[in-house]
Parts: sequence; structure tokens; C-alpha cells
Amino acid sequence: MRITQFLPTGKRFSDSLMPLLDELRQNSSELAGIPVARLLNLFDDFGGKLLQHPETKTLDGVAFLSTWLRKSNLEGMLRMNLGGSPEFLDGFLPVGSVKLAAKPRGLVSMWMAGNVPTLPLFSLVQALSAKNVCMVKLALENQPGMIPLLTVLSQCEVAGLNGSTLFKFIAVVWFDYKYQDLNEELSWAADTKIMWGGGPALKAISALPRREHCTEIAFGPKYSIGLLDRKRLERSEGFDNVISAFVRDIAAFDQRACSAPQTIFLEKNLRLSLRQVAELFAHQFRRLPPKLSLDFYTTVRIINVRAEWALDDQRDLIASGPEANWTICMDSTISMKEAVQSRTIFLTEIDSWRQILSLITPKIQSVGIAFGDPSDAEAFANEATLRGVARCVRPGLMNGFESPWDGKLLISEVVRWVSLKG
Amino acid sequence: MQEHRTMAEQQIESLLRGPQYETVQTDKEYFLVPLFRDLCRDMSENCPPYGRFLERLGTPIHNWQGLADIPPLPVTMFKHFELRAVPISQVVRELRSSSTTSSAPSRIFVDKTTAFRQARALAAVLKEHIGGSRRPYLVLDSPDSVQAGDQLSARGAAIRGIGSFASSVHYAYQTLPDGDLVPDFDTIESFFADYASAQPLLFGFTYIVWTRFVLEMEKRGLTFGASGATMLHSGGWKKLIAQAVSKEEFNSRTAAIVGCSPKAILDFYGMVEQVGTVFVDCSAGNKHAPAFADFIVRAPYTLNPVEIGEEGLIEVLSVLPASYPGLALITEDLATLLGAEDCPCGRKGRYFRFTKRVEMTELRGCGDVFAQSRERP
Repeated sequence: MRITQFLPTGKRFSDSLMPLLDELRQNSSELAGIPVARLLNLFDDFGGKLLQHPETKTLDGVAFLSTWLRKSNLEGMLRMNLGGSPEFLDGFLPVGSVKLAAKPRGLVSMWMAGNVPTLPLFSLVQALSAKNVCMVKLALENQPGMIPLLTVLSQCEVAGLNGSTLFKFIAVVWFDYKYQDLNEELSWAADTKIMWGGGPALKAISALPRREHCTEIAFGPKYSIGLLDRKRLERSEGFDNVISAFVRDIAAFDQRACSAPQTIFLEKNLRLSLRQVAELFAHQFRRLPPKLSLDFYTTVRIINVRAEWALDDQRDLIASGPEANWTICMDSTISMKEAVQSRTIFLTEIDSWRQILSLITPKIQSVGIAFGDPSDAEAFANEATLRGVARCVRPGLMNGFESPWDGKLLISEVVRWVSLKG
Repeated sequence: MQEHRTMAEQQIESLLRGPQYETVQTDKEYFLVPLFRDLCRDMSENCPPYGRFLERLGTPIHNWQGLADIPPLPVTMFKHFELRAVPISQVVRELRSSSTTSSAPSRIFVDKTTAFRQARALAAVLKEHIGGSRRPYLVLDSPDSVQAGDQLSARGAAIRGIGSFASSVHYAYQTLPDGDLVPDFDTIESFFADYASAQPLLFGFTYIVWTRFVLEMEKRGLTFGASGATMLHSGGWKKLIAQAVSKEEFNSRTAAIVGCSPKAILDFYGMVEQVGTVFVDCSAGNKHAPAFADFIVRAPYTLNPVEIGEEGLIEVLSVLPASYPGLALITEDLATLLGAEDCPCGRKGRYFRFTKRVEMTELRGCGDVFAQSRERP
């Protein structure tokens, strides 16, 4: 059996996606008839229950997911995506001389990345809110936490809607990415394809055959950075909090999210040397619990980068010890360093933030900014976003999934705007 | 200083001269740790980058209590840095790795002392596996792999090293202008016609042996009846694993072509960064460290030595390098530590089996690389 389906009750195995896809299509009109407010109430309940269930409350990123699922947040997101009125999802509303409605695109096929355990939920909840039936293809056969997450969803209940009902509208599956026929089946079935992942994965998925009307939404691959300006570095008040917030951004999802900072630029200043800032980072890293495990590939990347920095007299580093726990690499070469991930950060000293503008491309997703003066922060954000950056946020908020993401308002891309004039 | 150098030299000499597999692990460590302390201290003085590496990533040398305390240098560093402990005028040969998995080859600078030790070490190890007599030698490669001059590839270094056991040398392949290898059937058939009963010695890189020798000869239905032959082979298994060829299948089908026992097909683990230090299959199919070297299988994340039965990254330690910091190198290869002191072959010390190269994880996700060149515009 090549397909593993994830259900609240466990896993089910099959050899074809067709029966699942047919069932989703058959149920799509039932989903379209559920008022959006009822869906949001259910997701709100889901968010609350995630923090109570023993198997979900400890999952990486679940605290944020719980907050994100709050009705007030999702409502705000829908308003932003849908011209101010989530009710466009429930039927026609007058806009001037015409009536408009936001209809679901139909079936949304999602190819997920394996780096963030909660990522499928961010994608799924948005597509479901717009009343699309969804098939989610996971990256990993044993996606951490997936069955507990679905179990909690199935146990939610609000007036007029049970969580278990939602499983008529979603199917979460895994199959080996090498099965071209299954990937093609999933792609042919889609009215919209949502893809998360690295460059080779996105290219392969995008190359799959699809129907003419099918739209594609791609997230990744991206790279994120941090920036500390001179004025903030010279002000000691609250500076430890800035560093600890950056370290939280680095540690979350083992730095595998596209929003995790890899290189942090620091302007030269009169208070702290590069080494002193690195020591402050080291202090915060030492307070993190050890990692539970690490794969061989990332271990090799870490020991290689440590050696590269240690051998070079133009560079410096501080490492946790022989174990591949955390590593701080320091230099003055103005460049974006290749991401190593897993608590490996590159601190690069610069004269002025203007020196990094030429390095900024649409490849950069988020910049964690700590400026002493808000007007400088805005000046940087103007320049950086012009060159392709999607988000400039405070340290500590870098991995906070929000809308827009990667410059896209996802919900607005999984609806069809229809009109009635007559 | 001069005194401890002389003493280290004498100790290395005694390791190369003595039996290679008779020391139990605890005795080996007891002897090797102080020697490595001296060698690493000298190396760090003569090769400043290595000195920085030890200072920044290790504990003080005098605190090293076991071989696992020596910070291993990642073997890929020889691709990124020119790591030398002698003036360039003293370099007699520059070894280069093949650059199949990386655009930059490793560059290994070998001085006279190191070259001499490497040749003696290889002879000392191979002697214990194939005996000391000279034998007709069929190289399953092209003569172009052993180019003249002061630069040598990994393939060339291995071919030359084993050549010290040859009574005559014959090359089984020719290189086409596009770099491909084609069998020279006349040479192969006449070699076996002349020497099949003379216990010939064969050597080739594993993938070349499989694709250019075993599969080609099978296609033509050729076998050679050389029952006393020994074949040594080395090099990556990655492509063979991709083709689902197991070590057992490789050995049995190769032996069937040559006409020898599958036990006479000997894989050895070695690398251009540590020429002379080879880990040859024993009769039980396991790999042992010779007296002048050792290995550690290190766990991911903690990098602590693994327990018996566990898989980890292979680190190789060797006392041979004097002109470059190759004393303790951690590789990107994985092995399973199988035991110590109890290998059915009777050799002492720890033993391991190579498993595979480290592969890229699926977990890296979308927060991957910055390099724009990896994206099409």
C-alpha cells in the first residue's frame, strides 16, 4: 500500500487517491453551506483545546498556533483578505451597483514541507475557512504530532458543527514523493495547488500536469535575516530581551522555517564589540534545553561550518562544546551566509545597514529588526521591502505566521470572486 | 622539542614495523594518546590554521585522556583551505581527491617523510591481508589515472601504492577522449591467460569494477578461472547502493568472473586525505584499524563515540601525516561499530562496517539556502 492516510483514529493505508478525491468533491457543497462564523467558532475551540491535550500542548509552535486560531485573529485575517467582509463567503453582498460573493475555488491540493509540525494547519485552516475541500500531502511518513492534532480537531464542538464533520472535507495523506502517478493524480484533481518547500520540491510539483483553470501558490524557498542598528546597540536598556527574542526565533522549529534568521547583521557601535554581542547570544543559547536529537546531515553541516570558521584567522566563533547544540560564527564579510540551521547563527559586523541593501533580493522573506529610532526602522523597511523583503518584524515575532505571508494574502487566492448584476 | 620529535619518530617506526592487528583496544589507546598529543602539538605549531582549530574547538592538548578527546578536523576542510605544515619547497607530491561530489578537490601536501611513511604503512597493512610476495598486477583502470608529475589523484595514489606488491603491472582499460573508460579486452584476456594460476592481484575503484568489469564481462559471458586471485577495491558505494547492489552480490558476481572465492574480494576503506591508512575487509567482512591508526564511530549531535551496534560518523586517526593536519579526520561517511576484541577473524581492537554516505535530510524545508544560483530566474 503506497498511501498512508492520517485520521484522528490513526493511519489507514490504500493504493489510490481517487476514492478520497471523489469523496471530497461530493462533500464540497455541504461545506459551502456552513456559515463562515460557525467554522471560525470551531477553529477557536480547536485553538483552546490544543493547549489542553497532553500530546499537542508540547508540540513545537503549538502555543502560537493556538493564538492564531482565535476567532478574533481569523476574523481580522478574513477581513483583510476579503475586502473587509468575511460574509462574502456566505453569499452575495452589495458593492455599489453590483453584488459580489467569494466562492471557494473547489479542491485545494497541498504539498507540505516537513520542517514545521504545525504548518499543515496554517494552510488547511485558511483554505477551509474559504470553504474549499482539501487534500494535504505531508512531507514525512511520520509527521510529528499530526495524528494528535487531527484527534483534537475531531473532538471540537460548537453550536451546529462538530470537528469530526470536518473530516468529510479534508484528507491528510503521505506517499513517497517518487510516486509520480500519485503526484499527478493529486495535481490533476486540484483547482488550486498550494506548495511549501525547498527549490527542487517546488519545481517538481509545479511541473506536474494540471487543469487549465488551476492556480498555483508557492511558498519558499526563502531566507531570513536579522539587523541590529547602532542606536539600538548603544542603548543598554532592554538589550538582553532583544537578544533573547532573537534566540527564540533561532531555536523555534530548529531554525528550519523560512522565517528563521540565519545571518544577523550588526552595525559598528561605541558600546559593544562583535565578540561581546556574540557572548550575549551565547548566554541566551546556554539557557536553551538541549536538542532531543539531530540528523547526521545537519550534524555534518554544523561541524563543517565550525571548522571553516575556526581555521580562518579573519573569522571567529563560539560553540556550545563538542556537541552540535549551538554555534555562533562571527565575521565582517558582508554577505548572506549559507543556512546551516539547528541553532547556527552568523553574526556579521557592518558599518551601516545601507551596506546590506545590495544583498537583498526577493529571496529574503523576513528581517528581524532592532532599531533605536522608529524612523530609521521605517527607512530600512521601505528600502528592504522595495527590494523583495516580505516582512520586517521585531525579534521574537519572526516565526509568527501571519497574513500576508511571502507577500501573499492566501485566503484571497483560494476564492473566486463572482458577481451578480440584474 | 627535538627530543620528543625523535621519540615520536621512533614510536611511529615501531608501529609500522610491528604486527598490525595484535593490540587490544585499551593498550592501543594507552600507547597512541600520548603520541597523538605530541604529533598534534607539533602540527599546530607548524600549521597555524590547525593550531587555531584546536584552540577554538578543543580542550588543551595536555588534557586529552583518550583518542575521542582529540577534536577531529572535517575531511572537507582540505577542499576549502591550503593546509600545510611544511614550506611548499618540501612538498614532494600534491594529492587531489576526485571532485565528483564537489567542484573543489581536496589538496593534500605530502613531504618526503609523509610519503615514506604512507608507502611503508600501506605495505605493512596489505602484507597482513594478501601476503608479502610480489604478484602479477592487473589495474582495472587506465594508465592515465597514474599521471606523471607532482600531482596525483586518489585513484592514482591507490594504484601506485598497491603497485609495490606487483611483479608486473598491466592496465585493463583505456581512456577515451571524453574521459570514459573502455575495456582493453586483449590485455585482460592475455593477462589471465598468462597469470591465472600465478595468484594475480587485481585492483580497481568499486564503481569502475562493477560497471566496467563485472557487467561488461557478464555481458560477454567471460570468466577467467583465476582461483588464487585476490581483488582489492575501494571507493564509494553510493552509486551501487542506488542500483541496489549489495556487498554480498558484488563479491559473489565479481568472484564468479575472476574465478576466485568471494572471500578474496577485499573492499578497503581509505581516502586521499590519509593515504596509507587503509581499513581492509577481514575474512569476516569487517574492517579493523592497523596499529598506527584507529577509528572512532561518533553519534550525531553529541559526537560521542557510539555503543557497539550503533551507527555513526566515521572518524579516522593516523600517525602518518607530518606535512598536513590529517591526524584526526571526521568524514561524511557512516559506519556501524560492530564490536571489539571478538571478531571471528582473530584480529584485535574495534571493528566496523561501512554503511553509506550521509544523505541530505528531508527535514530542511523551505528555510534552506540563500544562493540565488540554485533558482532559475
